[in-house]
Amino acid sequence: MAIEAVDTRTRSLRSRRQAEATGLGGVLRRLDWILLLSLVAVVGYGLWAIDGITKHDPGGSAASRQGLYAAVGGALFIAALFVDPGTYQRLRRPIYFGTLGLMGFVLAAGAVTRGSRRWIDVGFFTFQPSEFGKVLFVLALAGFLAERARQIGSPTSTLSALGYGLAPIVLVFVQPDIGTALVYTAALAAVLFVAGVRWSHLGILAALTVAAALAVLWLLPAAGMNVLKPYQAARLTGFTHPGNDPQGATYNLRQSITAVGAGGLRGRGILGATQTRLNYLPEHATDFAFASLAEERGFFGASILLLLYLLVVWRALKIVTGARDLYCAIVAGGIATMFLFQVFVNSAMTMGIAPITGIPLPFVSVGGSSMITNLMAMGILQAIHMRRPGRRRG
Amino acid sequence: MAKKSFGSRRFLPSDPRVEGPYRLTPQLAFRVAILAFLALAVFAVLLLRLWALQVLSGDRYLAQANDNRVRTLRLEAPRGPILDRNGHVLVTNVPGTRLELWPADLPKTWAVQRRELQALATVTGATVKSMLAELAATGSDPLTPVVVQRGLRQDQIDYLAEHTAEFPGVQTQDSYLRKYPYQSLAAQVLGYVGQISATEYARLGSKGYLATDAIGQAGVEATYDTYLRGRNGTAQLTVDSLGRPKGPATLQTQASPGEALRLTLDIGLQRAAEQALRYGINLAHTGAEGAHADGGAIVAMNPQDGAILAMASYPTYQPSIYVGRSDPQKLAPLLDPAKAAQANYPGINRAIDAAYPPGSTFKPVTALAAMQEGLVHPFDQLLCSANFKAYGQVFNNWTNLIHEWIDLPTALAMSCDTYFYELGRRFYVLPPDRGHPLQGWANRFGLGELSGIDLSPEVPGLVPTPEWRRKAYPVSQGFGPIDRTWKPGYSIQLAIGQGQLLVTPLQMTRLFAMIANGGNLVTPHVAEDVELTGTNGQPARILRRFGAQPAQPTGVDPTALRYVQLGLEEATHASFGTGSGVFGKFPVDIAGKTGSAEKNVTLPGYQYPQNLTQSWWCGYGPYNAPTIAVCAVIENGGHGGTAAAPAALRVFEHYFGKTATTSQHASD
Repeated sequence: MAIEAVDTRTRSLRSRRQAEATGLGGVLRRLDWILLLSLVAVVGYGLWAIDGITKHDPGGSAASRQGLYAAVGGALFIAALFVDPGTYQRLRRPIYFGTLGLMGFVLAAGAVTRGSRRWIDVGFFTFQPSEFGKVLFVLALAGFLAERARQIGSPTSTLSALGYGLAPIVLVFVQPDIGTALVYTAALAAVLFVAGVRWSHLGILAALTVAAALAVLWLLPAAGMNVLKPYQAARLTGFTHPGNDPQGATYNLRQSITAVGAGGLRGRGILGATQTRLNYLPEHATDFAFASLAEERGFFGASILLLLYLLVVWRALKIVTGARDLYCAIVAGGIATMFLFQVFVNSAMTMGIAPITGIPLPFVSVGGSSMITNLMAMGILQAIHMRRPGRRRG
Repeated sequence: MAKKSFGSRRFLPSDPRVEGPYRLTPQLAFRVAILAFLALAVFAVLLLRLWALQVLSGDRYLAQANDNRVRTLRLEAPRGPILDRNGHVLVTNVPGTRLELWPADLPKTWAVQRRELQALATVTGATVKSMLAELAATGSDPLTPVVVQRGLRQDQIDYLAEHTAEFPGVQTQDSYLRKYPYQSLAAQVLGYVGQISATEYARLGSKGYLATDAIGQAGVEATYDTYLRGRNGTAQLTVDSLGRPKGPATLQTQASPGEALRLTLDIGLQRAAEQALRYGINLAHTGAEGAHADGGAIVAMNPQDGAILAMASYPTYQPSIYVGRSDPQKLAPLLDPAKAAQANYPGINRAIDAAYPPGSTFKPVTALAAMQEGLVHPFDQLLCSANFKAYGQVFNNWTNLIHEWIDLPTALAMSCDTYFYELGRRFYVLPPDRGHPLQGWANRFGLGELSGIDLSPEVPGLVPTPEWRRKAYPVSQGFGPIDRTWKPGYSIQLAIGQGQLLVTPLQMTRLFAMIANGGNLVTPHVAEDVELTGTNGQPARILRRFGAQPAQPTGVDPTALRYVQLGLEEATHASFGTGSGVFGKFPVDIAGKTGSAEKNVTLPGYQYPQNLTQSWWCGYGPYNAPTIAVCAVIENGGHGGTAAAPAALRVFEHYFGKTATTSQHASD
């Protein structure tokens, strides 16, 4: 009797909390306002930065186009608030195989740009499934791991998660899009880590990853087997020796470091930033946006962006600790780590302390797929936060 | 109370039916802490690196950014030479220096930039206005140089070299200038080279042309630009913040020179034709009717394959005045419409781009068409008299000192107008279901349509038909229904090549080539092939042959053609032939026809048009095995025998290497 009474009470409490979360007032009350404000700040700052960076490009400022992407992303952000994360957990299989199917379709029918198949042309904009896939990948993997929450320590759990995770990574890798494959790998590591996989398993995986990287970059080429194309390998390892080959693989890197350094404390302004304006720094609106920002706005301008990113990461990790269940915790942890990884690899690459990959800088690099995906991921984080158990009222 | 019972829940044993409430395990908290620590470490690394680059080494990188300016230079490919059929070089290159502005390095403030451009204008002679226009035309790309002048003089180059510090963003580059060893010879055929215009660039930008490129603007320079231009090379040059080169440029891709273009022209014959044209104009001035002679054209063509041997147009110009564009005064007659009219349009190639009434040189067409349509038999005797009366009108013969019945060849030889008026009448009275066979045959012989020569612009001329007249004189524009109808006089005038009929000298040359070669219409062409000129006496390697296209049969009856040929030969040899006085004593047997076409011309300086006679002669030789067809037209030159025929004879004289024993004037 008593047990059942308590049970019904808990149930009614939970459903009341959920009802609270879906009404407009409830939504506003339960949002993570610090996260929301820092997101608004970082998106706005990114638009302002891109306006300055692309002002002298042949096509003119890309800020309005980017603003349109941000608006679409904002709509998805709001839509994500109203979806219970449990839905994603239930739909993990359709999500997972849908993502795989989309990536296979890109390989078969996508548009080739600069030698790789990453895009699908949907008329008004070319859509990059591997970019959207990042979030879907985390949602699906978290589902598989949460399912095995009780036996999370067993090697079978680790191996099956690994199996699910590697398939999309390989599909992205052969596009070829090494940068995004690295982001997927980081996300896989993050969900395993947050799900609670044994330290010993994580250690073995880390060792295997290092061994595989060494093999791909060094051992296999030495034995006459090239997994990567020579230019890919040169880009990945070039940052360790930027001095030689000034016009070749590390030309971009050298120009990027020069751009960052030349920015100084206060920046050179839009007109004075010759590296960006005179196009010495290629891809300054996308891959090397951070370097352009650093050149135009200096240490102050670049630090503001980094600190805003730190704020976002801090709030995201806080959401992990307040999550309703293990699934939500894994998703939040995966998104937070993925975000951190992208910020780090992109900005570090422009400063010569990470390999050159085509990873966009979240909320800054011009590109619809990246902007929309990142906003959607942040919406999911907020949705998790809104449904936290938290302190109860009344 | 709910609160209390909820709070006491933790003391209850766990029930498998109840979904276990999730709690943050210490293990997960620890792992999140690790992630947080990682995040802090990552941002610390990023900020430290940023600090190190921007604040600690900022000055060094700033200097590098200012210093590190790699420029891609365009190495101009020498343009291919143009040769005549015997390999004489008609157009070649001389090394020159061009002046470039690099927008990225020009002073940023308007006042300073203007001062610099003014100083540059004083040194080079280019105007500030033109330099600003060039800068604006190239658009916003700061790393594409703008060519403001080609062909700098050595003293100008030296001055700029000594004062580089005063001219940031100004650079001199090696380039090539067109050189014309034969000066004005064949100017309109060769064309010239000039800076690509905005409209041309819009059309050709996707085909690898750059906004700074030079491009063939007329003649074969334009038609065969893709072969002549070669491929530009590139080199990289590091410059400092003032745009001054630091060290030598490193070659990236070698420029590959343009290919040589071999023409079908014979430069000796071309010179003879141009001299003959001036001679014909001078001759015309001696006659009463040719006082206003001021222009003309001569075309010489191989009648078997359409190869143009000479193409002269007068007045002419020196293509070299386009080189470097150094003297606007000399260019005015070519570029400024008012000045061009004053100089009688030296830029126009009158052989293909001007149309005249053909006069009696059209009579072979009437003769052939009439025989083909069964309107006349070559030995039918028609009356040649002082005038021809029909439909209440009187049509005069060119001479009134005649009254005899003649056959067709004689009519051609005597150029008897009344004979052809009668043929014209017979065409007019044909029933409507027969169409307009005279115009039809004229079209079939290449009149009223483009010849397809590899030069432009070309005009098609006009062969008037009743349908054309109805379209050209619409009632809605105030023309009465009377003006729109085709009156008998039009057919009668058309038969002697008058009225609204207009032809180009090249079309007439093609017509006479057709008569000469037995009825086939050739496609005229001036380009023989493109080739790599052999060095050290090696033979040239032909890359692509343009050559002759097969002649198109016109379907004309060979027998009918034979009587026309006979008539043309009598015209130059019989005692009654209109050209016998000029060609009769020439050692080679030439056949041809004079023409004196009336045209209303408004001369420069006159308010009203006057009726002036266009002097024509067209023909070919040797009569039995023709190797050359020639057409000469002297604008306002009077009778064909007075000016055009003697001019054409000069061309034959040079071609056959023989001189006529006498050179009398003939009449029409």
